[in-house]
Amino acid sequence: MNRAKKIRILLAKVGCDIHERGPLTLMWAFRNAGMEVIYTGRYATPESVAKTAVYEDVDLIALSDHTGSMPIIAESVLNALRKIGADRIPIMAGGLILPEDIPVLEKMGVRGNYGPGTPVEAIIDEIRQIAGVKSVEA
Amino acid sequence: MNENICLVDRDFGKAVRTATQCHIELKNAYGPDDIRHLSYEKDIGDPGEYPFTRGLYPEMYRNRLWLKSFIVSYSTPEETNKAIKEYIANGMTDIRMNSDLPTQCGIDPDHPAAWNSMMCGGVASYALYTYERMLEGLPLEDVVYELAHMGISNFIYIYGLFVAMMEKKGLNLNNLHGNGINDPIRAKLVYECPDLPTNIARRVWLDHIEYAVRHTPRWKACVPNGVDPQQRGMDVPRELGGCIAVAITMIEDLRKRGISIDDFGPMVFSLDAESDFFETICKFRAARKLWARIAKERLGARTKRAMQLKIGIRTSGLSLTWQKPLNNAARVALQILSCVLGGVNSLDASSIDEAFGLPSLDARVFNLDTQHIVTHEANVPLVADPLGGSYYVEWLTSKIERETEKYLEEVDARGGIFACLESGWLHGLMEANRLRIQKEKEEGKRLIVGVNAFRSQGPEGPINQAIQNCSYKVPTVRQREELVAEVKRFKANRDRRAVMQAVRRIYQATRSGENITRPIIDAVKVGVTIGETVGTIRSAYGVPYDPFGQVEAPEFFREAIKE
Repeated sequence: MNRAKKIRILLAKVGCDIHERGPLTLMWAFRNAGMEVIYTGRYATPESVAKTAVYEDVDLIALSDHTGSMPIIAESVLNALRKIGADRIPIMAGGLILPEDIPVLEKMGVRGNYGPGTPVEAIIDEIRQIAGVKSVEA
Repeated sequence: MNENICLVDRDFGKAVRTATQCHIELKNAYGPDDIRHLSYEKDIGDPGEYPFTRGLYPEMYRNRLWLKSFIVSYSTPEETNKAIKEYIANGMTDIRMNSDLPTQCGIDPDHPAAWNSMMCGGVASYALYTYERMLEGLPLEDVVYELAHMGISNFIYIYGLFVAMMEKKGLNLNNLHGNGINDPIRAKLVYECPDLPTNIARRVWLDHIEYAVRHTPRWKACVPNGVDPQQRGMDVPRELGGCIAVAITMIEDLRKRGISIDDFGPMVFSLDAESDFFETICKFRAARKLWARIAKERLGARTKRAMQLKIGIRTSGLSLTWQKPLNNAARVALQILSCVLGGVNSLDASSIDEAFGLPSLDARVFNLDTQHIVTHEANVPLVADPLGGSYYVEWLTSKIERETEKYLEEVDARGGIFACLESGWLHGLMEANRLRIQKEKEEGKRLIVGVNAFRSQGPEGPINQAIQNCSYKVPTVRQREELVAEVKRFKANRDRRAVMQAVRRIYQATRSGENITRPIIDAVKVGVTIGETVGTIRSAYGVPYDPFGQVEAPEFFREAIKE
């Protein structure tokens, strides 16, 4: 790939969810795929995620959660982004996502919505697509 | 390739490893030479005899079977109460409690950071009445309760709820039976739990243990936990060594408060049952032996009880797969068998649908039935330590023992387990091993059936699909809104003066160095919540009231601690 700037991802966990193996595994895979990853660690707030995304000038925010509450989490992050005028930053989601939540998340504009067991390659392809689409628009 | 021709590969599915899950390299056979360094009396011993390698009791499971337990904790106290009763009817003999994730972090449901995970993973047990509702109709005396929470604040607080419930009913505190994990290393190493900084957590930890030893002798207020460090990346010697190091520190700290190891009595560890069958069995045997010797030789135990290590198990949640979940039945059955062959004292086995959320009733009944089949049809528990004397098992037990001792020496040389936590050394070890395992999976050197090998061709079949679709539903926005309203109502309707007084007592005791357990028990009786308890302890140390740094201390609190 002939790009001057590497894809930058903010990997985020919002709320009190403790499950961390998923994001740690992805962090490794994204880096191996030549991307830059910033991880919030656990217990982040929607506001801190939004601010970090702006400060770090990321191409997208990847939300991870294993409580089954992704629509609620995505909405809170979207609201925080809107508040600071940064809702142009795309969001993708993964973790424990219930089948009935997928259309809800898609309607919000959240991409990916991957359940456990999704091949990492599929996630990386989607990220490249999102980042690519964004740079065309800009 | 021509699809009409079916080729048979004689070597398909061949083993790819020569080492255990934790990288202990194995020979293809073991014999007398491999165990020549062991003496039966000194290293193995009869069941019930020091060093207890073969089990704690001469009669072992003939006398008493292992306790069968589950974490039972759903979104509401009522649902949880109903589930506990159903599991008891199916043979559960030990009740493990947990709370929702915000409670485990030390905040109430009306805290802004609670919203995203409220009522997830359990009940928001923020005040006494939530427990009274959850345990309605269940005996408080002579039933084993276990607390599997995360934050150190939770154990002292929920213990306070139990004592308060018993005192309100006029029950005998000698009959409060059970334990709490209450492991300050696990809370930070694995979870970075935000409730209390490590130095404060260590004091709260000891206050709670000291109080429990003196007032509720059958409540084990600390069960060093190896399960979660192991699941997060530690290997067997470090899982076991970590538990032992926490136990040593606890006993040494308690001694400064005038409590001996003999006062403390038997130790309990919470260990992991992983998929590696023999390594898991040998870990349990090595654990008992190591603890017996350390208790006697290093910590000066005089009573037999104080040299005994009871082992509580949580089978590996990490080993469960989302792909072809029916296979989880085989995994859990083997893990259960390794526990019984290893002579454990209590067993919390995962369910086949646990990769999808909280387990269903069906899956858990199947799980209990697996244990009943092991007992009544396979007749496994009739003989104590049936693998004792096997060249391989004795060699591997001894190998794990030696590796664990080496790790303990290194922990000692680095200033003890708390110093190893603070320096980041433990994190480094854990992360390096996790990455090593991850690489092995990527490179096909560690096969997980259905995930990186033997994957299903096309969509899953109907049985697997049914398992995938039975996950427990998380609370809706509406349920969360109702809970927040309930908490606000609850807080507004308390006796304000009594609450202020109770909070002031916790604050003063924390500052003066007095044991804070009794003030907490008194406080829960007048409705002081977990979030307020945590905030008060933090404030007394001069750190911000809110662990998340998002909200100010409530007005009543500021007023209460004014003078």
